[in-house]
Amino acid sequence: MLSFIARRCATGLLMLVALSLLIFVLLRMAPGDPIDAYINPSVPMSASDLETLRDRLGLDQPLPLQYIGWLRAALSGDFGYSIQRSGVQVLPLVMERIGPTALLMGMGLAIAIIVGIAAGIYSAVRRNAWPDIAMSVLSFIGISSPAFLTALLGLYFFSVLLRWAPSGGMQTAGAPFSISDVLAHLILPACLLSIGHAALIMRYMRASLLEVLNQDYVRTARAKGVREFWVIIKHATRNALLPVITLIGSTVGIAIGGAIFLESVFNWPGMGLLLVNAVGTRDYPVIMGATLVIGVCVILVNILTDVAYAFVDPRIQVA
Amino acid sequence: MRIKTIAIAAALLLGTGLPTIVQAQSPKTIAGGFDVGPGGFPKNFNPLVATGGFTWLSTYFEPLVIWNAGLTELEGDLARNYTMSSDQLTYTFNLVKESWHDGKPFTSKDVKFTIELAKNKVSGSLLAARLGDVASVETPDDSTVIVKLSKPNGSFLSILSQVLILPEHALAGMPPESLATSTWWSTSPVGTGPFKFKKYVTDQYVELAADDDYRGGKPKVDVLINRYFENPAAAVAALRAGEIQFTYVEPDDAASFKTDASFKLIEGGSYVVNYIGLNQKVDLFKDLRVRQAIMYAIDRNAIIESLYGGAAKPANCGYVAPQLVPEGLEAYAYDPAKAKARLTEAGWDKINGDKPITLLTYYGSPQAANVMAAIQSMLAQVGINVVPRVVDTPTYNGTVYKEGTPDWNAFPMVYAGLQNGPNPAGINPGLNKSQLPPAGFNTMRIEFDDLSAAFDKALGETDASKLDAAWQGVCKVMNKDLPWATLWVANRYGVVSNKLKDFVWTPAPGGGPYAAHPETWDIQ
Repeated sequence: MLSFIARRCATGLLMLVALSLLIFVLLRMAPGDPIDAYINPSVPMSASDLETLRDRLGLDQPLPLQYIGWLRAALSGDFGYSIQRSGVQVLPLVMERIGPTALLMGMGLAIAIIVGIAAGIYSAVRRNAWPDIAMSVLSFIGISSPAFLTALLGLYFFSVLLRWAPSGGMQTAGAPFSISDVLAHLILPACLLSIGHAALIMRYMRASLLEVLNQDYVRTARAKGVREFWVIIKHATRNALLPVITLIGSTVGIAIGGAIFLESVFNWPGMGLLLVNAVGTRDYPVIMGATLVIGVCVILVNILTDVAYAFVDPRIQVA
Repeated sequence: MRIKTIAIAAALLLGTGLPTIVQAQSPKTIAGGFDVGPGGFPKNFNPLVATGGFTWLSTYFEPLVIWNAGLTELEGDLARNYTMSSDQLTYTFNLVKESWHDGKPFTSKDVKFTIELAKNKVSGSLLAARLGDVASVETPDDSTVIVKLSKPNGSFLSILSQVLILPEHALAGMPPESLATSTWWSTSPVGTGPFKFKKYVTDQYVELAADDDYRGGKPKVDVLINRYFENPAAAVAALRAGEIQFTYVEPDDAASFKTDASFKLIEGGSYVVNYIGLNQKVDLFKDLRVRQAIMYAIDRNAIIESLYGGAAKPANCGYVAPQLVPEGLEAYAYDPAKAKARLTEAGWDKINGDKPITLLTYYGSPQAANVMAAIQSMLAQVGINVVPRVVDTPTYNGTVYKEGTPDWNAFPMVYAGLQNGPNPAGINPGLNKSQLPPAGFNTMRIEFDDLSAAFDKALGETDASKLDAAWQGVCKVMNKDLPWATLWVANRYGVVSNKLKDFVWTPAPGGGPYAAHPETWDIQ
């Protein structure tokens, strides 16, 4: 197991270097740079003024030199300074955003997993009954609703019309920090984030459980007189969970995409909001740093998924 | 039993937060989206590098002189009064008695320090070029500043209104080259305004506290909060939910507030003239008849009525302010037949025909998309095939500001806007041949001698009574030569909760600054 994890980590490192190179090249190919992002087009500025700023930021150096310089510094833990935020280092900036994003994604995924698995089991057990049909319809709506749409609709209904939740931010502006305040701000975006994932997990769980329920060992358990509840929970669900775990692992990347929309709409100060800001202002160091941290998270989650897979199904060898 | 214990623990945990929220609401607080919209510059704290956001910055920093709320004239702010020599080369400012928020006295040395810092490119100041005419700053005593110019500059006071005065005692110790990246701006800035900086919660909001010793009187509210919104729709949601009391809104949203008794809609001219820029490095647009055809082909009144709800003024030159527009201008009323005739005279079929021409813009709002579609359709009716291309601001700037020889065909036509007031010289950098890149902002490469001469005359006019006439001269030449196909000056909107009293907001370009007197704002 240890050598497997070590090999996966080494591959992950190579992938991160490749990712950094790819992002670097793509960013430089995109038109406009941080100085172009700085200018309000309706306010006159001279190109020579902009050139002065560009020189001061080191953006006049050849691209390979810029990349090598960045990589060398990054390997020693120095991701540089944000271009658009005065004097702010990239690494601490990115690291302080991991917590809010992890909180939002963690809560969103937790809701999605609990609701998705429970609904999937219920739907499979009540196959073709009206609750199954109703949940199938809802799940298809959930899967096909883009994050930006659910975010804006949720904001309108639950914050503006019903006033059940704050409209954005992570805490009440001007109020001292409190857990209840953060939870009040968290619940709506987390629920909205969970919609698509819960629907997907529910579909996978239902399909997987239906397949397992027809297996011989389930029939044997029933024949032995085991109560139906325990047949489903202990014998069927555990085996049906395998593809769902794979799905959950692979949806972390998708959840990051959803979180970017949600964080923008709800002004949740996480990685998504940071990245959207950085792309909009062409803040190269922040984009590079944030992308790498997201890359590390996705690779780690994938390794953890493989490990969890092995724990759930002892037949799987990862040596 | 266990469930009961958990429930009690949860109640205690949640309960610890509730009193703090209640306590936090007790100070009188106004929260707003002060940096939402085109006049905002969210997350910028350094006034030396600001191209907007002055509405918010001027709640804790202040300039020497400031536009009044109607943007009709300049008045003193940190300068109690000022005089100008008859040759317009010497300005004398008599300063108010004021203290910095850290208790140190505000003196003429602070003014000298700030102007010299703003003039110094090394500090990253975007005001450096505009303050190029400043020859010296003298401080005969603590409350007097004398600024001498190397040549008359009719825009000097207007430029000075965006120079927010900084504390010498806090910044003189820092090398100018490190100022642009200093964290001082967002952690412990010290100003002279009615509110003092309290804290910045990264990307969430900025909180200011009332300066009880402010010379204009103790502010009526205790706390002023500027909340950031990545998405304008979220700002509107926060306003409707009662979490903020003010924000800029897009015209589409403004309509929904007109009939809502809980809010007051503030409407005002944007002081940004929208135009179609016609790249003079592209041969097609060197012919005046083609430029005239574009003007005749676009039904500006129909667009204003249908897409702006009538909330825009058609522009027949760079200005719409009555004192700057002379009598007898060509109105370029919608006349597709005349447009076709002009194109025929110019041999349009031979020089371009129906080949597509890119119309580049950075305006990405739904309203702008409709405007672009309407323009595309109207131009197509006379035989000009434009293809709108909407890009983000960095892409637009990266295209038109590209070093060396840009690809002219990447921006043969642009749909853009430029500040045309309150200082009428605002459009000079976009039109005067002396402002060609890399020295200036004239990205459409307009080199019309008579237009440049008109600008130079107005800029050098030292007789205040002749200034309006000089700017009318600019307007007249623009109307005749059509360096741009000028379109309109649209209105912009802010929405205020009815709970606010004596709140002042003006849709000034770049957010002003203007005399908003935040110390008088109150909330019920």
